[in-house]
Amino acid sequence: MSDPLLSVRDLRTEFDTDAGVVRAVDGASFDVEAGETVCLVGESGSGKTVACESITRLIPTDSGSITGGEVRFDGTDLTELSGSALTEYRGNRIAHVFQNPQGALDDVYTVGEQVVETVRAHRDLDRSAAREEAIDLLDRVGIPDAADRIDDYPHSFSGGMKQRVVLAIALAGDPDLLIADEPTTALDVTIQAQILRLLGEIQDERGMGLLFVTHDLGVVAEIADRVVVMYAGKVMETGEVYELFENPAHPYTRALLDCLPGHGQAFDTIDGTTPDPTDPPDGCRFHPRCDHAVEDCRAGEQPAFAPVGDDHDAACVLYGDDHQPPLSFPEKHDD
Amino acid sequence: MPSKDFESAAFTEVDWDVRDRGITVRKRTLGLLGAFLALGALYAYDAIVAPEELVAALNWDVTRADWLLLVASVFFARYGLFPLAADPARTRRLLGRLRSHPLGLFALLSLAVLTAVGLLGPGLFFDTGYPKLKYRLQPPVYASVFVEDIHYYNCVGQVTDGYCHGTWRYPLGTNRYGEGVLELLVYGVRVALQVSLPTVVLIGVVGTVVGALAGYYGGWVDDVLMRYVDIQQTVPAIVVYILLATFFLGEYSGVTDGGLFAFVGVFGLLNWGGVARVVRSDALQQRSAGYVRAARATGASDLRILRDRIVPNARGTIVTELSRRVPLLVLAQVALAYLSLSRIASQSLGRVIRVGLQPEVLPWHQKWWVTTFAVALLAFAVAAFNVSGDSLRDALDTRQGGSS
Repeated sequence: MSDPLLSVRDLRTEFDTDAGVVRAVDGASFDVEAGETVCLVGESGSGKTVACESITRLIPTDSGSITGGEVRFDGTDLTELSGSALTEYRGNRIAHVFQNPQGALDDVYTVGEQVVETVRAHRDLDRSAAREEAIDLLDRVGIPDAADRIDDYPHSFSGGMKQRVVLAIALAGDPDLLIADEPTTALDVTIQAQILRLLGEIQDERGMGLLFVTHDLGVVAEIADRVVVMYAGKVMETGEVYELFENPAHPYTRALLDCLPGHGQAFDTIDGTTPDPTDPPDGCRFHPRCDHAVEDCRAGEQPAFAPVGDDHDAACVLYGDDHQPPLSFPEKHDD
Repeated sequence: MPSKDFESAAFTEVDWDVRDRGITVRKRTLGLLGAFLALGALYAYDAIVAPEELVAALNWDVTRADWLLLVASVFFARYGLFPLAADPARTRRLLGRLRSHPLGLFALLSLAVLTAVGLLGPGLFFDTGYPKLKYRLQPPVYASVFVEDIHYYNCVGQVTDGYCHGTWRYPLGTNRYGEGVLELLVYGVRVALQVSLPTVVLIGVVGTVVGALAGYYGGWVDDVLMRYVDIQQTVPAIVVYILLATFFLGEYSGVTDGGLFAFVGVFGLLNWGGVARVVRSDALQQRSAGYVRAARATGASDLRILRDRIVPNARGTIVTELSRRVPLLVLAQVALAYLSLSRIASQSLGRVIRVGLQPEVLPWHQKWWVTTFAVALLAFAVAAFNVSGDSLRDALDTRQGGSS
């Protein structure tokens, strides 16, 4: 198997806060292949956004820092690069789309100026050629009458339209990897569906890798090839999307899936709250909320990944070598 | 900030690539440099070849304070007027928004007229001859003053029943040295311009750069810069200027500007702290804004983000803060000139008022025209600045969005 496009290994990102050191990402590992869609899922505060922003070091640098691990992109460890060398990757090779489209555009400039600026930052085009390119891009992301709207200011665009512009800006550098951090969360469901379809089309066209952050398992089912489940800064389970939805292994993933309407009991929730990020529990991060926790879960480190299926791993002691054969879980509820 | 190490040759190459794109000098930057070079050449010419009356048509011997004014004008043109001219569509929108502030528009126009008068007036309209003492205390046109009991009084106009009537030769009358008040006002505006524009440009440039750096980088950069500002704020510019004036100005041969150069230096270098503070807090807010994060994610360098995102978005703050400062500076200079703190008098309105209030020849209320017009002009200019600053801020603020 060739090297993946992006390979994150044992990534650790910490923030210095008044309450203490927050280990937002505490040893996360995952891969994204070229042309593949990987969904990073987890509750709020599970570290998925920080993990994404750590890839090109977009975390606030005055309080946050990457303290360990490596981010190997196309053979280069990005954590080793200097700040100015990283800017060569940002936008050019790895593009970001953020959650809130309202703030992502600068109200001081027209939409066109912002797209043109990015096009020219990445390609050697003169002003009029860059403008043509910008109109093409806006057209591609589904802005109606792109040639007319290009001179409008962002405040005259709706949220969905702004997110399309943001996407156009992200695509301007023709990136190999697009990191989309909950790009549809702030949008209503019809617009959300349109944007997701658009993302899928563009990904097929360009063959880029897509790392998609969401807490919406419905979205995951729709677009993902592979899923990475994060909890409290750790990766709990990774797997191919059908496999993971059909045979969730980790108790956390099961609990998460049971929260979906139509699964489990009506309005199932996971009892308890996510652990204090400055003082996470020993052993498995999830054990205080886990119905299946055993003594081994409560001490030491997060259990190592154990294979639970084809290209499907879970960080749970119940699947480890010491517990052969795996404890039986209650059967997954049928729809 | 991320460490800047250049370990392997490969990274250095990548770095060069970035720099190649980053350093493309923009045309407007070239224009600014060109303007400064031209000014430098003029200065050399003035210093070496033609020491008197550089601009003969305007009868204008350019002094040190005038050079400062010229440099400041270039800055003002580059960062104030050029953006307006470069994007007519945006300028039209700005004017459209200003139309809903008719008072502000009027104030702006008045200031533009005052600026033109201050720049061109002294050369265009008056022969700077010597004041004619025999024509002292002429009343303004259509006014009269009782002069029967003043010895050696020459009335330019007609005298009826002991009252001297004003003439068009001195439309606003003269003071007790025979200087025309209208002429004094025009020179007063020039002085106000020489004082305020360079000082405000200096304050604006230093304050914006320091504030934006402190707010954007945060951490120790912020600490160092802002603690320095704290220290600097404890030094009142006016006291420093008074000390300088007491010890140096007037003694130093060749100081012909009435301490204007020193004023610009002292007030410009000591007064930018407030601007730095407000720009810093603006930058601090913007640092986590979506468009700054997005710019970073597309590979924009810090310099580019500061120049194209942080500062343009803070322009409303900067314009308000600076327009608030101009009248304060003008008033400070007028106050200092009123106190006669440099022995070589400038043509400041402060001196005009001081001379007018001295009880010689006539009590001040009988020669009211000497002071009243100057005070009215000052009050009008200060009010115009405050009103136009507010309206400009509203018109420039795109963050309010929908209003346009």
